[in-house]
Amino acid sequence: MEKQIVYKVPGGKLLKISLSFDETTHKIKDIMISGDFFAYPEESIEDLEQVLKEKVLDAKELQDVIGSFIKDHDVEFIGVDASTLTDAILEALA
Amino acid sequence: MTETWRLLLTGDHSAKENMAIDKAILVAHSKGLVPPTVRFYRWRPSAISIGYFQRLSEEVDLASCDAHGIDYVRRITGGGAVFHEDELTYSIVVSESHPSIPKHILESYGLICQAIIEGFSVLNIPSDYAPINDILVKGKKISGNAQTRKLRTVLQHGTILMDVDVDKMFSVLKVPNEKIKDKLITNVKERVTSLRHVKGEHISFDTVADAMKQGFERTFNVTLEEGVITEDELQLSEGFVKDCFGNDSWNHMR
Repeated sequence: MEKQIVYKVPGGKLLKISLSFDETTHKIKDIMISGDFFAYPEESIEDLEQVLKEKVLDAKELQDVIGSFIKDHDVEFIGVDASTLTDAILEALA
Repeated sequence: MTETWRLLLTGDHSAKENMAIDKAILVAHSKGLVPPTVRFYRWRPSAISIGYFQRLSEEVDLASCDAHGIDYVRRITGGGAVFHEDELTYSIVVSESHPSIPKHILESYGLICQAIIEGFSVLNIPSDYAPINDILVKGKKISGNAQTRKLRTVLQHGTILMDVDVDKMFSVLKVPNEKIKDKLITNVKERVTSLRHVKGEHISFDTVADAMKQGFERTFNVTLEEGVITEDELQLSEGFVKDCFGNDSWNHMR
């Protein structure tokens, strides 16, 4: 299933997410996270998108995966964080 | 003794050249080839720049850009889509290890925006920093800013709106929902201002540039001395136009 998500982050930034996932298993097949936020280093967003593949659309799993990614890769997000990214991605099931 | 930084006045350039020059200064400074640099510039033709994380086809009406002769380019910095027409654009490049640069990214946004706020005060315009990356006059946005850090070097660039044609801006920017386009345009007209609007008259680019120069000098306690772009930077910049900013694979990357 394909979903286009537009999610207004508290604080003002806008996340736009293109997502395809398996309807039965809820596993992410492909994801692109775009928007007007900031991330340092910028290129880490592509790595995060890779890491999210095959992960299940579940609040705890996503929050853990994104949180560890930020910590392990020393990434700094400004305008979004693990929790808002998780909420935005989960809009796919709303 | 006051430190001397370089001031570059590079005039008008296309979108891909402007973004390539900023990146070239960053790389040259990271190699110790040029001093910390503040640059003022303009965009000819008018252009849209999109943030690193944005999707070009989602933000920009490419057919309308082509019809109006408007350029577009992806920046190396995050943030939103910007329509560059009647504005002064600045960039600042300085090493992360420079004593005046805060380690914390948000703090360094605040400090560099302070230079722009000082510049507005030279023009007798009170303005406020609105974190993360905006500057407001009487509650309306007049400046947007975006920073990247690469090669242990800070690059922040931003716009100072001199005049704004919101209708023209929306003829080339896409909106998520066409049905609310008119309302959105009204909203943006209420939320965005320009030097022309604030002062009630046209202020020349040179006047604004001089004010912003003083703003950077006061904020960083440096003297800005006008210099030229080096041969190294020109070569780097030509390479970046060819391999990056003038290239569909970069601009359509996301």
